[in-house]
Amino acid sequence: MNKEVKLSVNNLKVSFRTDAGKVQAVRDISFDLYKGETLAIVGESGSGKSVTSKAIMGISAVNAIYEGGEILYDGQDLVRIPEEEMHKLRGDKIAMIFQDPLSSLNPIMRIGKQITEAMLLKNKANRKEGRATFNKTLATLSQTIKTALAQNGNTAVSSAEVDSFIKTFDNFNIQAIKLENSYNASRTAAQELIAIAEDFLFLVEKNQKVDAVATLGLIERKLKAINDRYFTTGYADALKEHMSALENVRRIERSKVTIADAVRKVVKSTAAKKESSSQTVEALGAIKATVEEMLARTPYNFFRIGYYVYKKPETDLSLMPAEEANELAYNFLTEDFMEAFIRLEKVAVEYSFNKTLENKKLAIAELEKAIEFFKKGGFTAKEAFALCKETNKAVRSAIDPLAVIKDNVAYTFGGAFEREVEKYFFYIKNNPKEEARFARQTAKHDALVAKGKNVDWKVVPKAVIEPEKQIETIVSVLTRVANRFRSDVESAANVDLDKRCIEIIDYLKEKASQVVYTLSKRIAKEKAIKLMEEVGIPEPRIRYRQYPFEFSGGMRQRIVIAIALSANPDILICDEPTTALDVTIQAQILELINRLKRERDLSIIFITHDLGVVANMADRIAVMYAGKIVEYGTANEVFYNPQHPYTWALLSSMPDLDTNEKLDAIPGTPPNMIYPPVGDAFAERNKYAMEIDFEMQPPMFEVSPTHYAATWLLHPNAPKVEIPKIITERIKRMKERGGNHGE
Amino acid sequence: MENKNEVLLKVDHLCQYFRMGRKDLKAVDDVCFEVKKGEAFGLVGESGCGKTTTGRSIIKLYNITSGNVYFKGQRIGAGTRSYKDAISKARKDAAKRIAELKQEKDVSAARKAEIDAEIETIRKELAATVAENRALIHDARSDNREVDRQYQASQLKKLEEEYSEKFDAAQRDEIKLKALKKEYKSRCRVAKKSRLITQIQMIFQDPIASLDPRMTVRDIIAEGLVINGIRDKDYINEKVYEILETVGLVREHADRYPHEFSGGQRQRIGIARAVIMQPEMIIADEPISALDVSIQAQVINLLNDLRESLGLTIMFIAHDLSVVKYFSDRIGVMYFGKLVELADSDELFKYPLHPYTKSLLSAIPLPDPVYEKQRTRIIYNPIAEHDYSTDTPSLREISPGHFVYCNNAEEERYKKIVNGETDG
Repeated sequence: MNKEVKLSVNNLKVSFRTDAGKVQAVRDISFDLYKGETLAIVGESGSGKSVTSKAIMGISAVNAIYEGGEILYDGQDLVRIPEEEMHKLRGDKIAMIFQDPLSSLNPIMRIGKQITEAMLLKNKANRKEGRATFNKTLATLSQTIKTALAQNGNTAVSSAEVDSFIKTFDNFNIQAIKLENSYNASRTAAQELIAIAEDFLFLVEKNQKVDAVATLGLIERKLKAINDRYFTTGYADALKEHMSALENVRRIERSKVTIADAVRKVVKSTAAKKESSSQTVEALGAIKATVEEMLARTPYNFFRIGYYVYKKPETDLSLMPAEEANELAYNFLTEDFMEAFIRLEKVAVEYSFNKTLENKKLAIAELEKAIEFFKKGGFTAKEAFALCKETNKAVRSAIDPLAVIKDNVAYTFGGAFEREVEKYFFYIKNNPKEEARFARQTAKHDALVAKGKNVDWKVVPKAVIEPEKQIETIVSVLTRVANRFRSDVESAANVDLDKRCIEIIDYLKEKASQVVYTLSKRIAKEKAIKLMEEVGIPEPRIRYRQYPFEFSGGMRQRIVIAIALSANPDILICDEPTTALDVTIQAQILELINRLKRERDLSIIFITHDLGVVANMADRIAVMYAGKIVEYGTANEVFYNPQHPYTWALLSSMPDLDTNEKLDAIPGTPPNMIYPPVGDAFAERNKYAMEIDFEMQPPMFEVSPTHYAATWLLHPNAPKVEIPKIITERIKRMKERGGNHGE
Repeated sequence: MENKNEVLLKVDHLCQYFRMGRKDLKAVDDVCFEVKKGEAFGLVGESGCGKTTTGRSIIKLYNITSGNVYFKGQRIGAGTRSYKDAISKARKDAAKRIAELKQEKDVSAARKAEIDAEIETIRKELAATVAENRALIHDARSDNREVDRQYQASQLKKLEEEYSEKFDAAQRDEIKLKALKKEYKSRCRVAKKSRLITQIQMIFQDPIASLDPRMTVRDIIAEGLVINGIRDKDYINEKVYEILETVGLVREHADRYPHEFSGGQRQRIGIARAVIMQPEMIIADEPISALDVSIQAQVINLLNDLRESLGLTIMFIAHDLSVVKYFSDRIGVMYFGKLVELADSDELFKYPLHPYTKSLLSAIPLPDPVYEKQRTRIIYNPIAEHDYSTDTPSLREISPGHFVYCNNAEEERYKKIVNGETDG
């Protein structure tokens, strides 16, 4: 099965600058995350699993240094993209659930507000962004058409005509936005009406106190707001009827309230109040049904209708049903405008594509020159920065401004490249203090050794960038862009330019409708309540208004999951989501995450130290120790055929229900990562360690095509070592049990 | 060991309520169990079910609301709520009956004298009940207060007896006598400060929160000794080093601060602090749930070793059944302040009877992917599971040593299950 890779981490290295020296938290790890699978990262605390996940989210601590490697998501290197780009991904595409639910919730904000906050903010930002992008893209298009015509020597279409085309496009889009805005306002009002009615009906059902008069007033206001011609087509009379019915009910309610007040003074009774609700409930139900019906109809396509209305302002398409109107407007738009416009557009697209293709070839040469230059070494800062500028220019000119799908590798190249070069030149010289300290300590150390004393401390290495490593990083940045360009040039013949034209128009359309899509607080609330139901919170309408402290641990974690899901992410990172919870709640949360994964086809990175938790969740498992992945394979392989001594140790230190023997605890503690061991990091705590384990780091040995382990025991020359008895016995038991289940 | 069956700790109808506005929060509600000498008793349940509160009530960190706690046969904690309730109930009943009788008196004048006599007897009965319960309350309070004083007195008496012989023997030798007197004085001071409750020590869940960050490990471990009046620095140091080595740390660690240690080592310090008091019993309140898996095994092994070498009795509180199963001889399962099942650990895992125990067992994750994917979790819903409308449940013995919280109908059903299974 060929699975789609969602996220791929290659040779990632992360260190932290501390007072005591550089702590190498993650040392060269690589893994892929496929679509719809769960990858579990297992290890002790301090093994670098959380650091990895934080690096993916771009929320590492301030003293973190990315020493190399890349995290590729959607063609972008998350390590190198600027914060603004990361901002668009974080929470939106990649979401994270943290260990302690209480500390990731705001204690003084109601739960509802916390769930809807991100939705509302995102909506606001989207509207703003849509407008800006629309204008910018249209301007670029017009500019390119003009240059293309001038270059081709095509005088059949004058510059003024181009302007008029663009202006028409712009104007009818404005018309469409206006229409859609009004339509959407009605739609929003309708949705809000349903939300209010549902809230009210819920409270009535639960026999709780309701303010019928106020609610009816609200409903009436919303009903009045549903006034768009297009939205109310065919329902105008029905709405009028509802309005009058509402009026009646409201009059009754009002009189009842006064009676009830009077009655209440005499005898303590709420009977009158309950009685009054039944009519209201009926009326509200009817209105709700009508409005729901209206919402379910085919919407008008305002992009087409906008043009129709722009050209023929006297006509009123709202009299027609949506399907017919859409059809009519579409034909008119295609014949009258679109065909000519697309013809014109294609000139520009073709021109821009060919030109950037040429530029790409030039840029590749330029990049190769730069790679040579950096590899050779012996350059001054001035030279390097001059070259940097040149290369940047070449790469920038090779970006097709009319490509809708942005090639992020090229887009983010400029900043990344410059930063890396800067690092190379300035980080060493900027740290004279560190240099001095290093010199001083080395001198002291050497003096002590010379005296023949036994020195039990090591000199802390300099916390500076290593020049060779940095050059490697620079070259890798360059090569990636060069490779991307090369593949672009190769596949140039296959590019469908007609499709690109349509894409641009679709893109503009999307941006225009983004401007008019408003999410009101009421609708956000409805969405939040749906989400809360989805994650299994009972009575979400009541829970919505509560504070975090009113929730139990498991419920809090569910809220955190709901918040993470509110943006509909691609990838979910769970950082020990169940460690703070007890067994039953843990099982519930795990089931929830599993269900959400199936329903939404999420890719999950699940971080934990408990192998038992992982067995149920994971498709594949990566065992981490001291910043490295020591074993990597599918869940069945890691559990039934573990290869690395550390995995053995982890498995054998877990008590299970059948063992009564003494547990095999792992002696000692993980190594200090300021001085990472030369050989296998686990050697010191490993009873199967061989001499080579202390001298050389083991490579990843292949056990099966999906199963790798980094231990010298797998080397052909290594002595045969028995897996600890406690594990073999357990596996035997597990297989028997599994077999019984299978039958 | 022949004294295996000696009861060390007995918890009798323990209730611990907390004030929550007008209502009481019943954190622990009518819990009874016994812990025998030398055994490991496990207490499991989900968070918030009152297992930690039980531990803390036993060690007198809270004033218990009602019920009794006996340690080595001596009542160390007693609550008064049940007696107070009995008084108020008796009063209410009496008032009601008297009111009824008075009404009757108004109607029929003939039985007036008879009714008057009856009222008189009711009043007398009431006075007797009140007096009885008041005496019980007084007892409970005085026991609560005096338990330490009594213990100190007994300790002093023991010392006096021991040293009077020694003094007699060393009467001629002035120097020896002086030294002995000094020793006697210091030991008397210690005895005056000693408390029975120090023989139960507690290990807390979170090793970071339970260690004072500004005290060195030596101070932390020695604090108990110092509070108990020991002033001999050398003796304290020697003791601290000895204990450090027992729990798998080294002498050099004594002068460090808690933040310099890893999680497992911190928990070892917590254990050392408990063990240095030479307790008979340790209450370990989730000692491993804040630790990594590999460290968990270290701490479990350490506790097991200590139990063997020092002959400790351990009450182990945890939510992870697999750990409790590994560690304990007997297990009590708690649910919302009630003890719902109590049995030997093997028995409990073989024949879980209470539905909550079954749901707990089904939630344990195992390192076995195939099994895990087939596993179905049993969901416990007390309202659907039990019908307690007619018949009030209580903790009943189903088979020897196996108690379940149930009512009559359930008791029969459970008995059938146990017998059927054991026969077949």
